[in-house]
Amino acid sequence: MSYCVHCGVELDPSLRKCPMCNTIVLDPNNIPWSEASSPYPDRRGKVEPARRKDAAIFVSVLLLTISITCGLLNRLVFSRNLWSLLVIGFCLVVWVICIPFIFYRKLSPYLAVFLDGLAVSFYLYLISRLTGSTDWLRYLGLPITALFTFLFELFMLFTLKVNRSFFSVTLYIFSLISLSCIGIELLCRNFLEDPMRLTWSAIVLTVCVVFIIAIVTILLLPRVREEARRRLHF
Amino acid sequence: MTKKRTDNKKTVRSTWYKLDLSAIVYPTLQRRDFSSVYRLSVILKEPVKPDILQKAVDRTLPRFPTYKSAIRKGLFWRYLEPNNRPGPFVQRDINNPCMPMPFKANNRYLLRVYYYDRRISLEAHHSLGDGTGGMYLLQTITAEYLRLLGASIACGGFVLDIRQAPDPGELEDAYMRYASAQVRPPRPSEKTYRVRGTKEPFYTLNIVNGILSSSEVKKVAKTYHVTITEYLNAVLLHALLEKQKSENPYRLLPVRIAMPVNLRRFFPSKTLRNFITMIYPSIDPRLGEYRFEEIVLHVHNYMQYYINEKFLRGDITTNAATQRNPFIRIVPLFLKDFVVRLFYTRVQDKNSSAGLTNMGALKVPEDMAPYLERFDICMGQPFSSRTNCAIISFQDTLTIGFASSIKEADVERYFFQKLVRDGIHVKIESNRK
Repeated sequence: MSYCVHCGVELDPSLRKCPMCNTIVLDPNNIPWSEASSPYPDRRGKVEPARRKDAAIFVSVLLLTISITCGLLNRLVFSRNLWSLLVIGFCLVVWVICIPFIFYRKLSPYLAVFLDGLAVSFYLYLISRLTGSTDWLRYLGLPITALFTFLFELFMLFTLKVNRSFFSVTLYIFSLISLSCIGIELLCRNFLEDPMRLTWSAIVLTVCVVFIIAIVTILLLPRVREEARRRLHF
Repeated sequence: MTKKRTDNKKTVRSTWYKLDLSAIVYPTLQRRDFSSVYRLSVILKEPVKPDILQKAVDRTLPRFPTYKSAIRKGLFWRYLEPNNRPGPFVQRDINNPCMPMPFKANNRYLLRVYYYDRRISLEAHHSLGDGTGGMYLLQTITAEYLRLLGASIACGGFVLDIRQAPDPGELEDAYMRYASAQVRPPRPSEKTYRVRGTKEPFYTLNIVNGILSSSEVKKVAKTYHVTITEYLNAVLLHALLEKQKSENPYRLLPVRIAMPVNLRRFFPSKTLRNFITMIYPSIDPRLGEYRFEEIVLHVHNYMQYYINEKFLRGDITTNAATQRNPFIRIVPLFLKDFVVRLFYTRVQDKNSSAGLTNMGALKVPEDMAPYLERFDICMGQPFSSRTNCAIISFQDTLTIGFASSIKEADVERYFFQKLVRDGIHVKIESNRK
């Protein structure tokens, strides 16, 4: 029998080093470790992969059925305009949003958000084709979609790469709200050809800035942070 | 829950079981790389014959309806329903036990049976039952296996009669029967020290098993005037304090152990499902440096104060309150999952530095004992990077199993070094290479 000279424990004959301190067993009189059988087998187990195929098939079939039936209804019964494009476009948006959840879990979250933005833009384009007006799409619809896609990408970047503690995420959310409100107001003013200044979004911005400063203060002072965590935990 | 309906003169019996109070949480924490799975093993004196073992499993499992079940999702809660698919099939043991257990894999069974040389191992998802329930199943399978080999084993203790129908008491959610205190003591919520380490790749669980003599440990525990559980608890707290000190932290944090208490000792119940509650012995190094004797005394006083019928009843009532709340009950499952997971990762998981469970001294039927060498226990993969410790003893062999998903084994080293310094002989087995 061999003992670890560092830990003082007896080691199973199959161990060539102490599993706790990695001290190598050197005992010339002992049976070589390779001859002793280990109480643990070498075979490594792997989990049978979970089947998500059923959910993926169900969602795809459901959305496809809705699209086809609405298309047929539009073609054969209510054929005054191409209203079914709205339903088909909506189904497409839902399908694209579902991709990272049920179809392909390894999809990069940045790419997923980008694809969502593209799908929404395409849907807005369909609406503009149906209504025959493109101004709102060019000056309002697409810029707002691009703004939200960009802000969500930033949110993902900060949550995944910087910090995802409760306070940090709250800070990102308030920043996101204030930036999106400013963006929406400026884009609306641009579309309506009003002077470019802030009104209602300035109120949102003020409220958000108060919260942002409070959170940053909490984050910068460890004692306050601990106290706030304790009092606000849920 | 049993429902009968008549359909074309045939009685179709549809049975399902509500998840018990503890079991509700475990499926919520399920991740691709984590399941709440524990492992119980028995080491026999002869090599295991897999075909006979399979027969024993097939014959025993119908006696344990809550273990022969699959988990399903309802709109508001998950539930268990009988699983009549083929299986579970015994398989040759693996190097990385307590692998995640996806609910739809393994023919929807939430248990696995392994064999290796002289060892039979049972792995079960915690949503089916606690260690005591699992031990009933393992010992009944083992007894049936030995019977099939020609031994005569009587029923009793953890060995149930497989010819008898399951007792309704074995299937009950015993928590609800005893959640009757008039106050609800608050849960501890202070942030504690967490073991930092290098995370192992997916599918790795490092096991360090210490094999000791029960009488030796008992003798040493007696010198401190405490029980074996209290002594080993104190040794683990001491190891965690040493580990924290070795990291030279910017500021010290309290060290706390999450320890399940078997409620059957205080509240009579035959249930084979979960019936445990957690207590949290802790040491706060910010108050000053603790000598080992002080830690032992502190743990002893804590256990004397908290482990009694009154406090435990209060604890059960606190836990049951959420499930009883009508507003919580009508919240859809996906929202409950989100909130519970958030609560667990943000609060509950940070509540303790390590887990420790003691199954105690096992009793087996007298005619079964000569066939058994010892029992092993593994608490399974920890939710975060920490180490879990589980203790079990049979006759004069006490096994302490550490399981962790980090490369470093400092806590294990401090723990066993302390035992060696106290004069206890420790033999180590491990799957670490």
